[in-house]
Amino acid sequence: MKASANNLNQTQIAENVVDRCKKGDVRAFRELYDAYSAAMYNICLRMTNNVSDAEDTLQEAFMQVHKNIHKLERDSSVSAWIKRIVVNHCLNTLRKKKVYFEEVDEVEVVAEEGVDEAQFTMTVAAVKTAIHGLPQGYRTVLNLYLFEAYSHREIADMLGITESTAKTQYMRAKEKVRQIVKQQNVIR
Amino acid sequence: MPDNFESFIQQHRDDFDVPGPSPRVWDALERELQESGKGKVVRLMAKNWFKAAVIAVLLVNAAALFYLTKNKEQHQQEVAALSPDMQEAKGYYTSRINEKLELINAYPAEELGLDSAARKELEVRNDTYKALERELKNNPGNERIRAAMVRYYQLKIDLLDKILEELHEKHVTPGQTKKRYEAEI
Repeated sequence: MKASANNLNQTQIAENVVDRCKKGDVRAFRELYDAYSAAMYNICLRMTNNVSDAEDTLQEAFMQVHKNIHKLERDSSVSAWIKRIVVNHCLNTLRKKKVYFEEVDEVEVVAEEGVDEAQFTMTVAAVKTAIHGLPQGYRTVLNLYLFEAYSHREIADMLGITESTAKTQYMRAKEKVRQIVKQQNVIR
Repeated sequence: MPDNFESFIQQHRDDFDVPGPSPRVWDALERELQESGKGKVVRLMAKNWFKAAVIAVLLVNAAALFYLTKNKEQHQQEVAALSPDMQEAKGYYTSRINEKLELINAYPAEELGLDSAARKELEVRNDTYKALERELKNNPGNERIRAAMVRYYQLKIDLLDKILEELHEKHVTPGQTKKRYEAEI
């Protein structure tokens, strides 16, 4: 069963796939890849923002999965473990591109500030385009929180920033997306 | 509590996903896995490559000598005169072997890790070779001896190639061949 990033937890793989992977069975590793690659690719694509980097990052991450599969404990969540490796590789890809997740002034951003959603239509395509156009730092925080369901605390730890900065960047990113979607409505 | 924007994302969550990666990702991954598998063998061999090389040489020699003891005959004749095709093969293989030996000998002795006896064993004209040549002179028409001689040359070349490959692996800059990841799991 292939997993979308949204239903990763429901992804089922045969019970012995991980054990077979640990023994170096390439066919078992292919099964693991088939089960998780779609979901992981979507994470890579959202994080890196382009197909080429997403594919390279996915490949590197799965090599790391293969190399470290023996470290995966029997009762651990396979999906969460793979996802964390993938996210780490995405962050490394971004760091190589000199994306910094620096601290920002801690100003309180009020949700719904400035943009009244009742005045415009939100579509998936419009939101996708808006997220695509965000500055990389904002997009990273927004993706990790909104799509990958990490907490602000976890995001702060991953990016080496404070929890309040992670929260503030998320609020700003969200606000920015709303503004871009609204502008797209006006243009139409 | 999720606001309208977050609710919208949650409701349409699956619509934000695209189909999986192109098949070339798995293809590249599979290639890398195969190379990494070979790398493991090379690393294992690198630890004992000298032993492996000597054992291989000894095995080749032992097999050839065993064969020769079972096929002795009397007539002594010149290889070149009686087996012109073998003479041609000899020229071809000897030149290839000597080229490879030159490359191996270019490494400093301390990096090579071979003592003089082992170096001697790698030379073309070692004891096995001389015994084979003697037998070929005695039995120029014997196809099995000719095949054994060609096989001897090929094994010698394979062995030298393996040693060169190991030497290359050992002395190449690590950054040129190995990817390093910034994050360790």
